[in-house]
Amino acid sequence: MNLRPNMEKRGKRSDGRSAFFFLLPTLVIFSAFILIPVVFSFFLSFQKWNMFSQTTRYVGFDNYLRALSSADFWAVLKNTFVYTLGTVPLNMLLSLGAAMLISKKIAGKKFLRTAFFAPVVVSPVAAAVIWRWIYEPNFGILNYVLHFFGVPAINWLNDPTAAMFALIVMGVWKTMGVNMVLFSAGLDGIPNQYYEAAEIDGAGPWRRFWRITLPLLAPTTFFILVMSMIGSFQVFDLVYVLTSGGPLGSTKVLVFYIYEEAFKYFDMGYASALAYVLFAIMFVLTLMQVKFMKKRVDFAV
Amino acid sequence: MKKALIILAAVGLTLQSGCGKKTEQNPGTKGKVTITFWHSFVSSTVPALDTLIATFERENPKIVINAQYVPTGDALVQKLITSVQSNTAPDISWIHSDFLQYLVEANAIYPMKTFIDGHDSLTAEDMTDIYPPLLQAASWRGTLYSMPMEATDLAIIYNKDMFRKVGLNPERGPQTWQELVDYAKKLTVKVGDSRQIGFFVPVYPAAGPLGAWMEWQWMPFLWQGGGDVINPSQTQILVDNPGGVQSLALWKQIYNFQDQSRFTVDYDAAFVSQQVAMILDGPWDLPRYQKILTNFNWGVVPLPAGPAGRATIMGGEYLAIFRQTKYPQQAWTFVKWLLRPEVQALWSMKSGYLPVRRAVMNLKGYQEFLKAHPRFAVYVNELKYGRSPRSIDYSGLEITRNIAEAIEKATLGNSDPKKALDVAAENSNKLLQAGGGN
Repeated sequence: MNLRPNMEKRGKRSDGRSAFFFLLPTLVIFSAFILIPVVFSFFLSFQKWNMFSQTTRYVGFDNYLRALSSADFWAVLKNTFVYTLGTVPLNMLLSLGAAMLISKKIAGKKFLRTAFFAPVVVSPVAAAVIWRWIYEPNFGILNYVLHFFGVPAINWLNDPTAAMFALIVMGVWKTMGVNMVLFSAGLDGIPNQYYEAAEIDGAGPWRRFWRITLPLLAPTTFFILVMSMIGSFQVFDLVYVLTSGGPLGSTKVLVFYIYEEAFKYFDMGYASALAYVLFAIMFVLTLMQVKFMKKRVDFAV
Repeated sequence: MKKALIILAAVGLTLQSGCGKKTEQNPGTKGKVTITFWHSFVSSTVPALDTLIATFERENPKIVINAQYVPTGDALVQKLITSVQSNTAPDISWIHSDFLQYLVEANAIYPMKTFIDGHDSLTAEDMTDIYPPLLQAASWRGTLYSMPMEATDLAIIYNKDMFRKVGLNPERGPQTWQELVDYAKKLTVKVGDSRQIGFFVPVYPAAGPLGAWMEWQWMPFLWQGGGDVINPSQTQILVDNPGGVQSLALWKQIYNFQDQSRFTVDYDAAFVSQQVAMILDGPWDLPRYQKILTNFNWGVVPLPAGPAGRATIMGGEYLAIFRQTKYPQQAWTFVKWLLRPEVQALWSMKSGYLPVRRAVMNLKGYQEFLKAHPRFAVYVNELKYGRSPRSIDYSGLEITRNIAEAIEKATLGNSDPKKALDVAAENSNKLLQAGGGN
């Protein structure tokens, strides 16, 4: 590891300057669309501003206090947790299963891989149109199939309990493809010798899965867990196009609520405060995951 | 910094939508003035709009109208605001009366008085000829900031064959609330495997884009029951008064005995596929229905009368002239031209919207048109019972949402109508008290 001194010797000031110019386009775009908005919305979260007036008014922590004392906020937070608890485990199970399936030498492997991944690239609006028809109470294919099992017709998108379920199913369908690809890459990274050795030692498929696949996949699994949780906390487009937060607000999630407050009712300060509350929640959750998983996941693999 | 950010956001939007074009004079229109006009007419109305604009340009050879489609609803107000902040506002735009508060606060639009009293004035007779509810909705805090371009109202579109099958007179609609209930009961039957309901109670997710539409469709019932949304001095929400409670109880009653929570919310598809006998709808859907509904007989009847008599809601879209325009006078020329009785008649006959002034009814051509189109005539005749919601000075959008939530809670959520409306009134009154303090 004595590369470092060499590198330092070579590094001159002018290198830094030209590097800066190469980075400039990215920096400009990053500042304009991420950095400045992030800082600006932090500033706004202490203001009252409706986007139209030329002045903002400082209100201290009012926006944050309003969120914490609002029944709407807690209902929305609950919905977000329900959605996360519904999608993340299901998503991980199914995407791992799909990854295992397509890692085998089976007929139609390419077709399956495409089929699992296709929803990821379908535009959410088009996907919602498809699912609206699947969930249609009178002609929908889902109720048609359930009818054969004697289940009475369910109005999927117009029943407060069923709607969240319907949203979760669509959410898993829409996002599991990405995780499948990640798991697939993780599986490819496990050397075949381990399986061969285990097989010689007489380990069955289950044992091989529990003792080799799962532990060696742990870093991938952890990464997917964190990303899926963040993703499900930020879900917006699917809600917007499938249920618009209804019925009876049962599928109104946090980001949808922020959107409404900001761009429907123009309460920019309150919406910014909500965005920072969301950030705080995700930060704490991710921190907890890192702390908890550090002990169990061997990152050296 | 705020301004810079808004400009950035606007640039982003412009790049995205590719239509941030400002009024320009291109070579082909030398000596002419181009007026950009934003509207949200659906594609089936665009041919009518083209005819209208062609007629205008023939009569006013110095003005070119550049009509641009923009999405309506939330998207429209967002687009208007960013365009104002970034100096790319249109000369004229279609707006909803709910937006007035924001546009006036941003000092984005001209008060109409500037033009009405100007050298190219509208006479007092012209002004009193326009339906007063429309002018009321086009005003904010007593000042007229926009002009109605067309009117709409609500009536019941019904399936005559279904009426006949259950022994109802297919030429007569429900005249009272009680009859509406009786009709709906009679028409709610099982047909083979699927069910049919009598009257589609317009209940949608309050949070969604249809939330405001639901509130809009409830308002005529609110007035039929003797209630109103807000008092004239805008200090108190009145929806939880007996009139409001009664009308919501009527909706809830019908909703419940039809078991409508298990029915589709797509009333249009349900009517077309003959699953529902009566729907509430506006005249704008008639041309389309005329084209597709050929396999059964259908008609239009006025809304029933409630305890406080007949009422329907009169709505419309309003034209505002933006302060950023270089040609306010030419923009006004177009707006004023649109209000002429013969232009209103032409527009109504071509587009399926209703005229905004009474004088149109006396035009011979229009009377003949109504005779030839009896379904459309129902809507026109109903205008005499038309009322418009008072445009609310502050937090109109939030108050609409609160009321929509109450309607959804009482029907789908099966809560007590009085309790649901009390909550809506309480939350809305808080907003009124907070008032214009930004």
